[in-house]
Amino acid sequence: MKSVRREVRRRVLRERAGGRAGGRAGAPRRAWGTAGAVALAAVLACAGCSAPGAGKSATAGTQSFITEPVTTEQVAALGDVTLRMWADQAEKPLMKSVVPAFEKKYPNVTVDITYKSFDDLIATVVNAASGSTPPDLFQGNIGYAVDGALVKAKLVRPLDDVAATYGWLTGTGASTLAPARWNSAGTAFGDGNLYGMSPISEVQGIYYNKALLKSLDLEPPRSLSDLEKDLPVVKAAGKQPVMLGNSDQYAATHIFSDLAVTEQSPASISDWIGGKAGTTFATDGNEKAADTMADWAKKGYFGSGYDGLSNEDAIARFAKGSGAFFVGGSWNGAKLDPEKFGFGALTTGGAGATASPWHIAASSKATPAAVAFLAALHTPEAGQEILDTGRLPVVTDGVKGANSLQSQTLDVLKRTIAAGTQVGYYDWSATDMLSVMGGKLQEVMAGRTSSAAFTKAVQDSWQKARKSE
Amino acid sequence: MSTVAPARERDTAPTPAGIRRFSRPRRHLTSLSWSSLLYVAPALAFFAVFVLYPIGISVWYSFYAYDGLTEGTPVGLDNYTAVFTDPDLRAALLHSLVLLFFYAALPVAVGLLLAGAMSRIRVYGLTLFRAVLFVPQILSSVVVAVAWRNLLAEDGPVNAVLRAVGLGRFTTSWLGNFDTALPSIGVVGTWVEYGLCMVLFLSGIVAIDRSTYEAARLDGAGAVREFFSITLPALRPQISIALILTVTFALRNFDLIWNTTRGGPGTSTTVPSLYVYQDAFQNRMLGRASALAIVLTVVILAVVVAVQLLLRERDGTGRGPLRRATARPARKVQP
Repeated sequence: MKSVRREVRRRVLRERAGGRAGGRAGAPRRAWGTAGAVALAAVLACAGCSAPGAGKSATAGTQSFITEPVTTEQVAALGDVTLRMWADQAEKPLMKSVVPAFEKKYPNVTVDITYKSFDDLIATVVNAASGSTPPDLFQGNIGYAVDGALVKAKLVRPLDDVAATYGWLTGTGASTLAPARWNSAGTAFGDGNLYGMSPISEVQGIYYNKALLKSLDLEPPRSLSDLEKDLPVVKAAGKQPVMLGNSDQYAATHIFSDLAVTEQSPASISDWIGGKAGTTFATDGNEKAADTMADWAKKGYFGSGYDGLSNEDAIARFAKGSGAFFVGGSWNGAKLDPEKFGFGALTTGGAGATASPWHIAASSKATPAAVAFLAALHTPEAGQEILDTGRLPVVTDGVKGANSLQSQTLDVLKRTIAAGTQVGYYDWSATDMLSVMGGKLQEVMAGRTSSAAFTKAVQDSWQKARKSE
Repeated sequence: MSTVAPARERDTAPTPAGIRRFSRPRRHLTSLSWSSLLYVAPALAFFAVFVLYPIGISVWYSFYAYDGLTEGTPVGLDNYTAVFTDPDLRAALLHSLVLLFFYAALPVAVGLLLAGAMSRIRVYGLTLFRAVLFVPQILSSVVVAVAWRNLLAEDGPVNAVLRAVGLGRFTTSWLGNFDTALPSIGVVGTWVEYGLCMVLFLSGIVAIDRSTYEAARLDGAGAVREFFSITLPALRPQISIALILTVTFALRNFDLIWNTTRGGPGTSTTVPSLYVYQDAFQNRMLGRASALAIVLTVVILAVVVAVQLLLRERDGTGRGPLRRATARPARKVQP
């Protein structure tokens, strides 16, 4: 026993001696090692020390413009070719019907689609497009972070000729192309060359719980003012008026947008979102809309704890019957039972436009096939398929809803587009706008900051984004 | 002792510490041969390509305004000045300091408490407990985030328990409330980290000579005294490791926050790494993101070095508490 203890103590001593030796003699050596590693790292990375990205020259290539729709012969002339695509996961149901038909029509083309979640897609697609073998056809996202970067780096092919040839510039979907138009420097959008196309539209509206409204003797709301009248009634009946899940910080900005557009001309908001010089967010209308949001929040119209609830969870709860209204985009409709819920229009406008636009890589070697694929997405047949799979098509002629909720939503879309009041989304205006605006609006709704401070902060961020270009 | 490998025997031969201290560096210099370098070459190559090279790239980018696509423009130290002058980032750093308490201090304290208790009280199914308490550490952080989002929701189990015991007025949407969001995320971090600390400390306690406890008990030391005089000092290396791991986790924490609050509500839970992600992948400002990442790395290194220095074993002359604790009872017991 004693010897064991001595052994243990000896070992402790030894270990301590070792630790000390390491601490004293080892420290400078380790420091040298670290310094060497850092130096090595710098040398490895900074070969020649030129500016990053200097070697990458934009391969605009010689663009062959089209004046006639692409023929099967033209596509066949490509030989056996693979059309490589990157798409949002949400496109899967649509692609399942479009791709087989396309491959049948163009037998020499194999379509190979890489699906990504939306967050993943927008985080990686720009890098993929700038790689050595970019996908031929891919979805970007409206705004500076993705589409702006793609245009600026000349990675995507202008589509003006395609749009003119296939007649996209006329008809119901024409106005939805605006957010994919850019100036050549990639610094402002809404006007200029067309760089993308989306076959899918989005519209804001008021989803309502039919049974709950009936039990309270309320008519389905047809406008925001209708909604405003209904809110206190629902609240007085002890129910939650509006279901809101704002932990992702965007849901409340959409409602804000719907309110803001009633206070000023929609065009002035679109201009601001598109980055038009001299426009400002610090308007009376925006302050008033922010005040209304704060007021509704204070009166409990959004319930409590909405900042801790995700939009996904909120729509799930609404679908199960809590909340009389859900103010939001048409993409939420797919989660709702069409028998139990209705959709009211905001013809006064608000947030909304199109889903992520498709782009053709500037360096694509299969451009005719890519053009043919885009054309296949922009047809009434594809439009019907889009509606059937729970979303809204840009091409609405001859498209019919399968149930009352779909028909209502389609009707709302047509009326809102006809009114020309869709302003796009605020977070397109600057890459960090979603977090700036979303975060500040949370503070306004919690009564922690004034609506004036909110509009100022948003405008400052907008200004900063303009300056950095 | 004869089972110890010869090489190790020579390396740690029980010679006085002084000789060893001088002889070791010399031997190191002479024995550095190319053949030995060959053995580490694969690992070194891997390390260079996947660690050193990216670090170098980050340093390089940090001096440019670069969007990852078009040619960058050199901006000197602008990115670094931006890091130090941005009020949002300062707020984020402050949040990190709060999280340090929850992610590092608290888990170590809880881990010590649990390990101390487990080592003293005979627990049936100890292995099982140990494994269960370690589970949070091996769960994917996204899973942890989603689970806690539901636990802490307005109508989640946490509030249900509060209501059940008559504390209904304290219920809130924990992650959606400006005042509770940061501490709530902190608690999640504590839950994730304490298992690791506990397992580390348990392994350290096993290595402590049981006879020192016996001796202490003969001297009339109680559980608390035993803990502070023997267990705690002997666990110094484990505490040091635990702190290094948890402090690093706290300062570079991103996934938990991204998957629970995204920095909200408002900016009440922002942390520096959140801005690194946003600048790099959303704002395409790779230069600023790199500068921030490098500053963050330096801060983490500094804190780790500080922890190591603070918890370093004292010199023989310094007579740390461990030495006193082990030496005194030993002397008494000896006839």
